[in-house]
Amino acid sequence: MRILRAAASVGLAVALLALPISACAKTADAFALLRSAIDAPNHVSFVGQMQSVQFGTSKSVASVFRVEHRAPDLTRHWYLAPQALYGDSIISRGDTAFNIDVKHDRVIVVQDDAIDDQVTLDDNIGLLTANYHAIMGPDGSVAGRPASIVILINNYTGQTGLRVWIDKQTKLVLQKETYATNGSISQQSRFEDIRYVTNLPSAIFVVPKTGYAVVRGADHGLPSNDLAAVVKTAGFQAHGPKYLPDGFLPVTGDVTDIKGVRTLHLLYSDGIRTLSLFQNATGSAVDMSRFKASSTHVRNHEAKFVEDGPTKLLAWQESDLHFALVGELSENELVKIAASVVP
Amino acid sequence: MQHLSTTDLIDYINNQLRPEDDALVHAHLDDCAPCRDGYSTEIALTEMLRNQAKVEERELPPMLKAEIWAKIRAEQPTAIQRLRAFLRPAYALPVAAVVLLLAFFGPGYLRPQSPPAPSIDAAYYLQDHAAMNSTVPFGDHSGADPGALEETALNTDESAVNGVFYTANANP
Repeated sequence: MRILRAAASVGLAVALLALPISACAKTADAFALLRSAIDAPNHVSFVGQMQSVQFGTSKSVASVFRVEHRAPDLTRHWYLAPQALYGDSIISRGDTAFNIDVKHDRVIVVQDDAIDDQVTLDDNIGLLTANYHAIMGPDGSVAGRPASIVILINNYTGQTGLRVWIDKQTKLVLQKETYATNGSISQQSRFEDIRYVTNLPSAIFVVPKTGYAVVRGADHGLPSNDLAAVVKTAGFQAHGPKYLPDGFLPVTGDVTDIKGVRTLHLLYSDGIRTLSLFQNATGSAVDMSRFKASSTHVRNHEAKFVEDGPTKLLAWQESDLHFALVGELSENELVKIAASVVP
Repeated sequence: MQHLSTTDLIDYINNQLRPEDDALVHAHLDDCAPCRDGYSTEIALTEMLRNQAKVEERELPPMLKAEIWAKIRAEQPTAIQRLRAFLRPAYALPVAAVVLLLAFFGPGYLRPQSPPAPSIDAAYYLQDHAAMNSTVPFGDHSGADPGALEETALNTDESAVNGVFYTANANP
């Protein structure tokens, strides 16, 4: 009997020791799967139809679009809904997007060098693995494809930050749900159908020129993660928040001229959620006339707040500096962060 | 309805009838061939008179014209006439409004001021935030924000266009 009890104790101890090792292994597996998923579009070509919904506090915006993707970096989104966008499409060729506005016969060309910013992407993956732990959910199915489900849980709040459905065979993300800080879903996108192809004709990704006016959109230069250097080029005494939600760190930034206004943009991230702080010293306020803005306060300064789907914007002025804080956090959190920016 | 008189026809041709009479004459002309003939005759006669008047039009002798203009220019208004013209409501009211505004805003208004700084569309900040999200794994760069796209689709202002379209890549 004593031998049996001893054997049972040893067995229990071994099992208890093995549990964390097994959990760690599963987390490592989940992160490995996530890395494969991030890389999948670089070598998988497909055609499909996607649905995307962005949930705001009181209203949501949805879109349905066809996607044709030829690995590694040719993509066309062709909008089926909402009605106002029907027929419009976006052709992405590497870091350049051509937004084809058929109703106004124009092509808007937008360059976003950040798409190629592998350094910042790696930094963000580092933040993601530091701030979240990944667990494997039960197997699922999306658009008839067997999928592994990975759930990312915030280490500080214990809340789910992201849930992704990854194609078991190709590792492509078939469905994704992003969660707000209060636990509600802030964004959901999923394939309604998908078909993998070996190749796609180049003609699909040709940007129409005849009959279209080409308009240069707002370009986005390559941001830098040397934030000290970025802040120096701003040409004014810049300020950052003293408070950030747990896990958030400054990751990248740039200085751009908008209508001749030198504007500093700093991006903070916890690996999933992001926060942008814009500031200028030339007295250029934020024009919110195209949005339904509400009034609030940052400390004792008047501030304006707008929502655009899950993204919120808070703008205020203090000591000749104009600030705008943009992110997917709650209004209270944005105000708290804004209040910690003390010029 | 009796046949139309010549006076009725002339008034009808020159749009001088009351609307209800005009409608009655119009309807009668549709049904009555003799009156239609009378109408055609009146039209032809009017046209003929007009052409004849044009032919008979005489230019004033150039010297007479010049004398008339010289007299008009020579007749300068007196100071009282000018003041009376200035005090007409069309001039006096705006002038009074400007004086009141200047008095209200004070002398500071007259000081030279630097041009106001341009405001920056909130859409630009939202777009730039979204663009930099390309560096976040699983960030929302699967496509354009439909709300913003819709706004762009409805907005023909190029400066607004610059602030809303988002970039896209393949990762959902």
